[in-house]
Amino acid sequence: MTDPSPNVLPPEASSARAAGRDVRHGALIGLAIGDAAGWPARQHRSRLLPPWTRRLRRELDTFAETQDVTSLPVPFALNQDPTPLRLGPSDDAEWAAWTLTWLSTMGDVTREAVHEVWRVAATSGTVPRGRISVATAVDGLQGGVEPPHTGRHNPHHFDDAAAVRAVAVGAAVGDPDRAAEVAGWDAEVTNAGDGVDAARFVARFVAAAVAGGTSWHQMTDGGLDRLGSAMSGQEDADSAVPEGTLLGRTVRRAVEATAEAASPAEAIPLLDEVVDRVYSYGTAAAQTAAIAVALTDITLRHGTPPIDAITAAACLPSLADSAPALTGALVGAARGAGEFPVSWVGRCRVLAGCCAPDLAGVDIMDLLDRATGPVVKEGKHL
Amino acid sequence: MNLPERARGCLVGLAVGDAMGAPAENMTAGAIAERWGEVTGFLTDTPAGTDDTEYAAFSALLLIDHGSQLTSAAVADAWIEHLAGRTGGFPGAGFSELGTIENLRAGLRPPASGDHLHSWSDGLAMRAAVHGVFAAGDPVEAARLAAVDGAVSHAGEGIYAGQAVAAGVAVAMSGGVLDDVVAAAIASVPGDSWTGMALATAREHAHGNTGESQAWSVIAEKLLDTLVTPRYPWTDLGPEAVGLAFGAFIAAGGEFSVAVPRAVSMGRDADTTAAIAGALAGAMGGYSAIPPAWVDIGPVTGRCLGDVVAGLHLADLADHLVGATS
Repeated sequence: MTDPSPNVLPPEASSARAAGRDVRHGALIGLAIGDAAGWPARQHRSRLLPPWTRRLRRELDTFAETQDVTSLPVPFALNQDPTPLRLGPSDDAEWAAWTLTWLSTMGDVTREAVHEVWRVAATSGTVPRGRISVATAVDGLQGGVEPPHTGRHNPHHFDDAAAVRAVAVGAAVGDPDRAAEVAGWDAEVTNAGDGVDAARFVARFVAAAVAGGTSWHQMTDGGLDRLGSAMSGQEDADSAVPEGTLLGRTVRRAVEATAEAASPAEAIPLLDEVVDRVYSYGTAAAQTAAIAVALTDITLRHGTPPIDAITAAACLPSLADSAPALTGALVGAARGAGEFPVSWVGRCRVLAGCCAPDLAGVDIMDLLDRATGPVVKEGKHL
Repeated sequence: MNLPERARGCLVGLAVGDAMGAPAENMTAGAIAERWGEVTGFLTDTPAGTDDTEYAAFSALLLIDHGSQLTSAAVADAWIEHLAGRTGGFPGAGFSELGTIENLRAGLRPPASGDHLHSWSDGLAMRAAVHGVFAAGDPVEAARLAAVDGAVSHAGEGIYAGQAVAAGVAVAMSGGVLDDVVAAAIASVPGDSWTGMALATAREHAHGNTGESQAWSVIAEKLLDTLVTPRYPWTDLGPEAVGLAFGAFIAAGGEFSVAVPRAVSMGRDADTTAAIAGALAGAMGGYSAIPPAWVDIGPVTGRCLGDVVAGLHLADLADHLVGATS
């Protein structure tokens, strides 16, 4: 169930509602599909197997090095149930679901209320397993550090953990400005700088697609400038990707480098030039959001299938943990859930519980319907 | 005490700390104690400086050339001329240095060149003491110069960490007592910054505790507990490094022979924390405060940066820095 009373509405209202629902689901299932498509998903999901399986995998890494063989180990089950190692979503989808869960049960959504959710979750030990930025913020909260210091005094303040959560915020909150505001409150708990800017951008982009209903394409007419406007919040600016940040510069570089690309796949070697090769982690928002924006731009300009943007993003190995997920969220919001292949949707809508055990078995499409019911029905709360 | 005496104390002190800490870099305090017992001097028979000494020497050369007219553009040009063309990597350097080089190679200029994923590293803090030597007695000017130098390679907290070291050294260079040195460092950065809060934490735990080794082990544990970010695997955070360095410096009452081994004993980025502690204590106590057994540290090897710094003597650079001021 999703639409509580389709038959009593005038046809155009019903159609707009259906379109909004399709966009919401598109953002969420796109995120989950992208989450599943990257190779790190199997690593995350292998957390559901006994620790010794992962210890042996680490030993096999060493074996490959010492024995000088090119056979690299992959997550394996040996004598265990191999179900967790099937294709499916992992950390990012669970984080979006966790965010949806608290957001949909919150009364008045205020900055203080959002921070309080984190404070309570941190002190009660119920925050899902997350990135370095999140774990550091949780340590801080447990030690009495207050937001936004938890996000600012944080070695990975620049990562995309909050940008991933912002997909849920954008899907739940229909209004773009409000979505960016709420996403910013959530983001500042774990991130700062690029990490917060990227979250505000993602929430605004998804919410704008939701608000646009069937005319979602209006917001992306004009390509980069409109994407840039969504990022900066300056709707009238001609060239609004923020110049003075690593995020803004990288987005611009990525979009410019792929301006001639006719398909996402064609863009990948060009985007490899934008990938950081220095650091040991590939979840910087400046990198993953830039890839997502560039591939979304290509998808919208050329009308290519949204799944192609995701599978292309998964071909950048160092960013494969979250660039495909963010790409999926943006193209899913822009094009709607109905444009993803049924084969992918069917495999990616149910959570594994590899980061938030309580969410194991939850269908994120159903969760979204429950979470956004009041918004769709009454247009209030958020 | 005259300026050259303090300047030599600072830069040779930096090199001594670097060399003493290098074998303990990235080790835990427990592992260091298990391997070497109480740290009382060099940990190898052939102590040698690393990236801290070489980048400090490089920044000293820039100051000697440009003085207070130093610009971030000139720093960037020097990095491009002398460092960006190097092949085969940058031995001893951290993520922030290679991140900067990659940005410069891609055509970015400061401050964009310093805006990479490790902009908060301790890579400016490790070389910023030279700005305090040059701007002796003027912590505001020292911090300004550190920020000018740092804009090529760092941003945000990485700049603040450098400012704190430069400002602290500047006050020590003019005969400031320990409390003044620490206060100047804290005053040089925003109070709610990560670096500012790390320095305040270090002062809180270390102040007034100059007693025997038992007390130090308790202090060290508190410093490590409060300043280290356990969910992050690397040891290169600027706020952490200056916090640990100032903690060791304060707990030793600014005494060189105590401060530097104590910084080493905490591990983490031990060469950098000991280099900072050595620069502060050396500027405060002067060259004569460095124990004779440690003082003959030898010229810069050039293993990290090559010919541009190879063969330079820190004491000579110190003299030139003082001369460049007048």
